Amino acid sequence: MRMRDFTAEQYRLSRRAFLSASLAAAGGLMLAACGGSAATSGGAGGSSYTLALIVGVKGDPFYITMQKGAEAKARELGVTLLVDGPSQWSATLQTPIVNAYVARKVDAIIIAPCDKQAMIAPLQQASNAGIKVITVDTYIGDGDYVHGPVTFPLSYIGSDNVQGGKIAGEALIKAIGGHGKVYIQNTVPGTSTTDQREQGCKEAIDATHGAVTLVGVDFNGDSAAKAAEQTTAILQRVPDLAGIFGTNIYGSEGAAQAVKNAHKQGQVKIANFDAPEQAIVDLKNNVVDIVIAQKPADMGSIGVQYAVDALKGNMGAIQKRVPTGYVIITRDNVDTPEAQAAIYKSS
Amino acid sequence: MAKMVQQLALPAARVKSRPLEIISRFWSWLFLLLLLLFFSLTGPGFFSFLNLQSIVNDMALALLMSLGQTFVIIAAGIDLSTGFTMGFAAVIEAVVLNALVGRLPLGLALALPLSILIALGVGTLPGLVNGILIGRLRVPPFIATLGMYGIARGLGFIFSGGGQPVSVQIPGVGDIGNGYLLYYHPAVGFSWLHTPVLPPGARPRDLVSILPFPLIVAIVAFLLCHWLLSRTRFGRHTYALGGAPEAARRAGIPVARQTLKLYMLSAFLASVAGVLYVLRFTNGDANAGDPLLLDSIAAVVIGGASLFGGEGTMVGTLIGTLIIYVIQNGLVIIGIDPYWQFVAIGAVIILAVLMDQAKARVLSR
Repeated sequence: MRMRDFTAEQYRLSRRAFLSASLAAAGGLMLAACGGSAATSGGAGGSSYTLALIVGVKGDPFYITMQKGAEAKARELGVTLLVDGPSQWSATLQTPIVNAYVARKVDAIIIAPCDKQAMIAPLQQASNAGIKVITVDTYIGDGDYVHGPVTFPLSYIGSDNVQGGKIAGEALIKAIGGHGKVYIQNTVPGTSTTDQREQGCKEAIDATHGAVTLVGVDFNGDSAAKAAEQTTAILQRVPDLAGIFGTNIYGSEGAAQAVKNAHKQGQVKIANFDAPEQAIVDLKNNVVDIVIAQKPADMGSIGVQYAVDALKGNMGAIQKRVPTGYVIITRDNVDTPEAQAAIYKSS
Repeated sequence: MAKMVQQLALPAARVKSRPLEIISRFWSWLFLLLLLLFFSLTGPGFFSFLNLQSIVNDMALALLMSLGQTFVIIAAGIDLSTGFTMGFAAVIEAVVLNALVGRLPLGLALALPLSILIALGVGTLPGLVNGILIGRLRVPPFIATLGMYGIARGLGFIFSGGGQPVSVQIPGVGDIGNGYLLYYHPAVGFSWLHTPVLPPGARPRDLVSILPFPLIVAIVAFLLCHWLLSRTRFGRHTYALGGAPEAARRAGIPVARQTLKLYMLSAFLASVAGVLYVLRFTNGDANAGDPLLLDSIAAVVIGGASLFGGEGTMVGTLIGTLIIYVIQNGLVIIGIDPYWQFVAIGAVIILAVLMDQAKARVLSR
């Protein structure tokens, strides 16, 4: 029998220890409260600023590239930059990170919010605490910080994913000759950025008025193996498939595997959203045909510049919305300096 | 003679093992205090009322899931479906609230309690199904709740109509979930429930807010669960179910019905977390609870519960959750790579089980 029978003595012991530990913890909290108020009265005022960059998900080449852009700018301007992010794309996990930086009293938070609605309240609290808030890549509210429902962030610096999806869709449609059947490989349902890319691609398909049809959308859960499995099934069902849009690298790589196994390389064109190094290798190996690159380094760099401008009171230099645009990379232009500069860094 | 030696030796052995026994029994308290000490010395801003309150507030959702998980694990079960049950309940809450206010239209004072009742009711259904599968149809808990993990996940996305979180744009909802019981500002003094109107010149950043809403809900839920587990027949049956299921059956404990209640309680608490998520983040996200599932199970294990059943306490689970959230917050503040958070928490889980085994050895000596 596993259940342990506590004797009266043991029970008293554990109870007494519990009480004393509770008292100790309560005492700690009281001390903490005093320490806290003492730190508050100190306040900021030095010339060296501490900025925090909170990315959407840690370890993603897109955000690593953004971090590099931000770090370079921070070095140039002589400010301290802290970088962190949740392990999964999740407002639930991103909120405690925001709160930790509020507690640390950073001067500005540059953030790629994981959810446009859910992150409003935590960032509002940061803003109320006197911290400058700038959003990069993604936004809160509707992204319009002048007339929209949320106006406290100083700027939204990023490329519109719906527009990006549309650009990708148009490039894919052009590559398949303006007509045929297209399939979308999406990642995890509910992810705003990839859902918007899907939406943009659908808009490009709709604009052909029936010349191009969508045969389906599947979610691979960020697994190339699953994407390959799903694409194999689609190729069975739709033998004359002409194009595939992968909303990120997992979808495109998995789709490419399936296309290769079905001996349909060349017949099926593949467009990939985002430009990690792997996508460029795939492009050169004829695995994918089109790579759509955003400019995350610019987002990070402008974000840091704006934060420092704001802290120095130079508000005139700040635009509420900075679209950073896209670069379309194909085998024809991959070696140009512009395309090379757009490739994301993985470390 | 031999008996006498034994009698003489026994108290000595007890005295010798006393510090060891106390350490093994309360290692998690000590570990938490050491963590607090370490981060207070190394993390700027960690040791402040604001930060410690935000740690416990941020852990409210995970704690609710952990409380339900504690009951289930003590009864030698596991509930893998709580993460997506929380998301499912969040979606239901957001959809129903939007419909009641937008379509009917009801005032928020009526619509909010009604929508919460519906969301909690619907959110408990996955637990009802789990309980029937496990209690009556003898499906292993891991399998039954893994199936429900998928079902609740899919339903969450289906009800949210296309995957994107259901936004709740009703004024006042966010004020509740982000509200505090008490506010203090040097210029105005204390004020209850509402943020005070500040006179011109008073800095808004000097406002101190005390006892956030999610934390209050979590404290109430914790006290109720602690009472239920440690003071009631329901609690004793839970231990009996996990410790000695055959004996429990023979003793006339209604095993199937108790199992049903346990999984419904787990789903109910996850649904409370889902409703809290909507009030705090003003949207219903099917993915809201998924990232918390493993943390919530880890918290129960760190708190000393055995996955074989029969052991565990609510206080232990509270300490386990605190340890995880203090580590996560502290590592962000001192600026350590977030991948180390996984390593740290993984190591703590293993440490917890090792300490548990050491405790068993000390006690059986």
